[in-house]
Amino acid sequence: MAADIILKSEHIVKYFYEPEKFQVLKDLSFDVKRGEFLALIGKSGSGKSTLLYVLSTMDTDYEGTLVINNTLLTNRNQNDLAAFRNEHIGFVFQFHYLLPEFSALENIMLPALKLNKKSKAEIEEKAYQNLTLLGLKDQALKKVNKLSGGQQQRVAIARALINDPSIIMGDEPTGNLDTQNSQIVFDIFKELSKERHQTIIAVTHDVDFANSCDRIIELRDGQIVSTASHS
Amino acid sequence: MSASVNFYIATVHLASSIKQTIVAMLGVTFGISMYVFMTGFMTGVNNIQTELAFSALAHIRVYNDGPADKTNIAKRVYPNDVINLRNAKVIRYTDGIKNSAAILSLLQSQPNVSGVTTQVNINVFFKNAGNKINGTISGVDVINENKVFNISKYVVQGNWNELKQRSDGIFVGYELAKNLSLKINDNLNVLTSDGISRNYKVIGIYQTGILGADKSKAYITINAARQLLAFNQDYVTDIQINVRDFNQTQPLVDKLAPVISYRVESWQMSNHQLEAASGLRDIIAIAVSFTILIVAGFGIYNIMSMTINQKIKEIAILKAMGFSGQDVTVIFLTQSIVIGIIGGFVGMGLGFVISKLVSRVPFEVAGLHTLPMAFTPTDYVLAFIFSLMTTFIAGYLPARKASQVDPVIIIRG
Repeated sequence: MAADIILKSEHIVKYFYEPEKFQVLKDLSFDVKRGEFLALIGKSGSGKSTLLYVLSTMDTDYEGTLVINNTLLTNRNQNDLAAFRNEHIGFVFQFHYLLPEFSALENIMLPALKLNKKSKAEIEEKAYQNLTLLGLKDQALKKVNKLSGGQQQRVAIARALINDPSIIMGDEPTGNLDTQNSQIVFDIFKELSKERHQTIIAVTHDVDFANSCDRIIELRDGQIVSTASHS
Repeated sequence: MSASVNFYIATVHLASSIKQTIVAMLGVTFGISMYVFMTGFMTGVNNIQTELAFSALAHIRVYNDGPADKTNIAKRVYPNDVINLRNAKVIRYTDGIKNSAAILSLLQSQPNVSGVTTQVNINVFFKNAGNKINGTISGVDVINENKVFNISKYVVQGNWNELKQRSDGIFVGYELAKNLSLKINDNLNVLTSDGISRNYKVIGIYQTGILGADKSKAYITINAARQLLAFNQDYVTDIQINVRDFNQTQPLVDKLAPVISYRVESWQMSNHQLEAASGLRDIIAIAVSFTILIVAGFGIYNIMSMTINQKIKEIAILKAMGFSGQDVTVIFLTQSIVIGIIGGFVGMGLGFVISKLVSRVPFEVAGLHTLPMAFTPTDYVLAFIFSLMTTFIAGYLPARKASQVDPVIIIRG
């Protein structure tokens, strides 16, 4: 039972201090199961992105506790959190945020090189597998700024997957893509969650996208207003 | 652990903005080459100055200071009485150094002494028919004189060692020879203050570039000088000593002064202005070089700050992917250190080439032929260390700033 809970957040409270003190997240508690495909929705300013960054461990300025993979992540130092993210969390952002000096393959390999648990040859093979999975094998050696928007986003997904993270977090992962590419990205996420049992937490505005997820958490003014499960 | 991936990212950054990298490297290169050149030139100038100065000056000189002031001798015995002593005269005390052989053997047993020579210096008139010039004759130990003062280097006509065999021979300064219309093999009449006159044959002419010496000084053998004064074989007026490091005269002076009953004087005591000039030139060289290095450092600082501002998004991405602040510092610090190492190496090479070129510029003054230049390996090593230090500091400050980038703020915009 407990092993099935991949992420547990309890009483998350967060304030913004600029321009004046303002409570963004109001005592949020929820669990995410392993292999679940979760969408966070809500209007602008509802706190959904803020919540995602708290869950991502990048934002440490909050109250409450966050446990991922049975590891308590609250009040850990930045370096520990960076190492944890490297191994357990993959990111896909609205804008691809790839490193423009590197080729697609190198971009994908970097987090694994940083983790330094496999040889370079193994990492390269794994990166090629990911590119094949995402249908980008022939683009591997191109510089990322030579790729189209949809291709770049898929490279970003391949990068997020390289260390086999327990959780993949997406901040508007399809926000900048056309319908066709959005569908491709969505299908990839769906496949990852169903077949590889990787957990996906995505902030989205895209209603179709959200409606196809396992579960939707809707936020309004920093509070959960509804939780809907589809599966 | 993940050092190699940090280094890899750093090199890709450097290679991808190659123009910026080259500009930063050129900054270091110019700084270091100027440093190398300036210190080489200043050291060269100092060496030449020292060499010129020490062509007439030994590191330590031992001589008889003459009797102390004894005009108040009666006052010492009757301090409270009024004593009128008029027209007091100093009775003749011993001139020169007695028992010079004992002092010489003491000096030769000192480990830091690199050369000792004895001299009999006499004030004389040089006469060539009607032309009379006031000057000094130095009776010298031909071989040791050359060891201490390297006089043979300044001989423009004749052969210094020939003086050893010629008790009638004399080496005169270039200006003195000109003023007295003397040529090789001409006779020169010398008149001492005691009224003794003697003829010598000019067998050589020297030119040190120091006008004072060239105009008024001549060399004969020490025995010829003793003969001229009718003194014995042990008589010397000066003992000139060279030590291995001319800056380290004080220990020997401190050691000798209590045991030798004559005045022991280092070159620093007798020539404060030389010491001051050499020190001031060093300060100027260091100030100029440091200024250049600091300017180069600011250049690197600017370029690194710019790079980091440009790459702030990528820094945020790296952090999101799990690179720690330390990794980010290493990535950017590596870049500036690589710039420092390559720029430093090229700078040493360029500095060497500039120094070589400048050392060939003709400069026909005071016995010089080209501009003086020193090629000291330690200066090159120092320059390289400075380039590393400058780039390290100039790179560390922006790199630390980069490490503090908050990925949330950057990614969320």
